[in-house]
Formats: sequence, C-alpha cells, structure tokens
Amino acid sequence: MRALGPGSVSSFLKIILDVVYVALVAGVAGAALLALAALLFAFNPSLLANVKISGGTDFTAHAPLVVGGLLAASFYMANVLVIIGALRRIFATLTAGDPFHPDNVNRLRVIGLMLAVLELGRYAIWGISAWLPSVRDVRPTFSLTAWFSVLVVFVLAEVFREGARLRREAELTI
Amino acid sequence: MPIRVNLDRILIDRRMSLTELADRVGVTIANLSILKTGKARAVRFSTLSALCRELDCQPGDLLVYEPGPAEEPDEEA
Repeated sequence: MRALGPGSVSSFLKIILDVVYVALVAGVAGAALLALAALLFAFNPSLLANVKISGGTDFTAHAPLVVGGLLAASFYMANVLVIIGALRRIFATLTAGDPFHPDNVNRLRVIGLMLAVLELGRYAIWGISAWLPSVRDVRPTFSLTAWFSVLVVFVLAEVFREGARLRREAELTI
Repeated sequence: MPIRVNLDRILIDRRMSLTELADRVGVTIANLSILKTGKARAVRFSTLSALCRELDCQPGDLLVYEPGPAEEPDEEA
C-alpha cells in the first residue's frame, strides 16, 4: 500500500484526523461554554443553592475548582486542536503527493511548540493544585518522553526545511 | 548568480523563437524562461547538450562567468 498520494495511507489518516478535528472543535466549544456557565453561576450562588454535585457536595463550595478544571480542560483541548489542525494540513500535502511543501516546516514547529506548552501546562496545573486545600495527593512527574517528542518534532521540522530547500533547487534545475 | 546565460543573444543570432527551441530540446517554455532570465540554479548536462546541439554552439557560448555575489540568499522555507 502506498504511503503518499490519493488513496494512500496518508489520505486514510487525513480522514481520521478530520473526524478527530471536528470532534475536538465540539469538545472545546462545549468545555468553554460549561466553564463560562460555571463562572457565571459562581458569581450568583443563589441560582445554584439547591444544586449538588454527585455525592451530595454543595456546588457553590467547589465552584472555583470546577471553573478552573473546565478552563484547564478547554486550554488542553484547544492545544490538541491546534496540533490536530496542523497535522491535518500536513497530511493534506502528503495526500497531494507533496511532502516537502514549505508550509510544513512551520506546521511542524507549531506542533513542537504546542507539545511543549502542553507539558508546561501540566506542570502549572500541578503547581496550582498543590496550593489548593481541597486537592490532596498531588504527585508531579517529569515526563522525559514528552520532552523527547518535542525535540524530535523540532528536528523533523529542520529535516522538512532541508527537504523544501532541495525541492526548490530541483524546481530550478533545468 | 555570477553565471550569465546568453540564450537571448544566441536565439536572435539563430533567428529562432523560444517556443521553437523548447519544442526541439524537449524542455518546457517555462523552464527555458527560467534559464533565460538567470533564475535557474543548475543546468543538467543532458539539457546543455541538447541546447548546444539545436543552437549549434558550445557550452561556453551559452554560459558566461561574471564576478559578483556568489549566491542569492536561500528563501526561508
């Protein structure tokens, strides 16, 4: 089975990425709306006086935590959305049989940057949750794999930059 | 690029159009235009020999070295 071009593995993966992208757009919108609603209700607790979180806990007592959690989830999904969006566009060029399109360099850099932001965001959430009195048992872990992935993606971006340069050279060879 | 392509002058001398040369050599007009305007980065020996054959000239008649800036900066990809 071919890896590049129409009807190849790349085009199949592009379809999967399209589906994931649409689902993520809906997820980000839903999480952002929930966060906004929770924030509004947090400022007007009388509206939610009778709302109980499963287990019988009063919602208003945990509103900041819920809002923070939803905002963190929105932020996380928005980052993944950017990564999937860039991957979709890269796979569109692979499906077109043009892997060394000059724009793929910046797309890969964006993916590397977003992976780094996601990892840093994870540390930030640990740091914040360690302060919160209601959150216990925080175990921060340093993921070497994540940072390794970031570096690999940045190196791949440079490989693609060289590929794009060679493609340009080939175009101007008569 | 310090290499200048004299294709224009040779075409006038031979009273040949770019389209006719493109047909004879088997290179697209777009590629010959790139060569003629000095935007080409490299010329294949096969193209050069076909040009020399059709224009009845030597590679030195087509290409001239003029001292100048070595290379145009690469476009950032």
